[in-house]
Amino acid sequence: MAEYVYGILEPAATAPAASGIAGAPLRVVGGDGAAALVSDVPAGELRFGREELLTHSRVLEAAIADGTVLPMRFGVVMEPTEVRKRLLESHGEALRAQLHELAGKVEMSVRVLYEEQPLMRGLVAQHREIAELRDRVALQAPDATYYERIRLGELVAEALERRREADAAELLEELSAVSLAVNVGASTHERVALSASFLVRRDGQDAFDETLERQAAARRDLMRFKCVGPLPPHSFVDLAAAV
Amino acid sequence: MAMTRGPGGGYVQRSGSSGLYEILDLLLDKGLVIDVFLRVSLVGIELLTVDARIVIASVDTYLRFAEAVNRLDLGNSEGEGLPDLVQDITEGGAESKSRGVLEGAKNALFGSDDEDEESEEESSDSGSGSRSRSRSRSGSSSRSRASRGRQS
Repeated sequence: MAEYVYGILEPAATAPAASGIAGAPLRVVGGDGAAALVSDVPAGELRFGREELLTHSRVLEAAIADGTVLPMRFGVVMEPTEVRKRLLESHGEALRAQLHELAGKVEMSVRVLYEEQPLMRGLVAQHREIAELRDRVALQAPDATYYERIRLGELVAEALERRREADAAELLEELSAVSLAVNVGASTHERVALSASFLVRRDGQDAFDETLERQAAARRDLMRFKCVGPLPPHSFVDLAAAV
Repeated sequence: MAMTRGPGGGYVQRSGSSGLYEILDLLLDKGLVIDVFLRVSLVGIELLTVDARIVIASVDTYLRFAEAVNRLDLGNSEGEGLPDLVQDITEGGAESKSRGVLEGAKNALFGSDDEDEESEEESSDSGSGSRSRSRSRSGSSSRSRASRGRQS
């Protein structure tokens, strides 16, 4: 048997009321500076899918309702002795420090997306070069304008990137004022204006939500705001950094 | 797409823990990680460090942008638009270079059965192989900047 590790808890913590992977019971092991929340899984090769991901996520949600938890990445399976020695003992100080640092704090995951039509209209309106090239292209047959269309697209891409940087900077400024830390992800898609996680104190969550709502309302003609949380602080834990 | 107000009267779209798709990045890409000898396969995909996701601006991208601004004239419906990331992956954008373990995982897990709210962003077919333009990411996690906010 091996142990699937969901996260790190405070030493005196008890297992949350939830089931582990494949319905196995949760338990808490270790307990000097930090404890591990685990459940038994078969040793050997494991193939996990959506179900296990969901379980992992739900166990962490249950754990953070009870107290502080440092989430493991999905898929950490260890032999029981390894859990105690390589994880808890070797990294005891780092884990204890982070448990202390993150007590009473949660993660809010925010994604802001552009609506395509307003976005494109805005770029055309703000950039004469784009508007003029678009007009020239519109007057001709498509097969005569291949290179112009590439140039047009390139201008749009550049303008979009500048727009995104400006918008993201504004949003970060506003939301940084109501959060403790931010972890910004790369924008993986043209329509993503901002993708970021914010570390917020539980008692600071109302202020964060209000600010987010204000931004969403003010920008509703151009952007759509999505928020998930409060979450365990996935983006703000790190074994390496604290060593 | 009309900006409708949510149940609480707000404009922010919220999902609780059931929004697994929204936090997939966090579960697979963040969190504490330690070298382990026992390996978990995520639907057949090795859970190793996420590949460098270098996305290159391409002719395809530019042509799609040009099409998007040209379409404004014709007053096309909201239904046609730049493909969503999910759309990109499930359409199997032929020459997409942006596939890493994470996106492969999304594809494998969510495929065409996904009823998640992300599906409301999916546009109708765009046809061309799609790429998005973004900064490169390397190493075991996304290139992210952790910085201190002003709340103390």
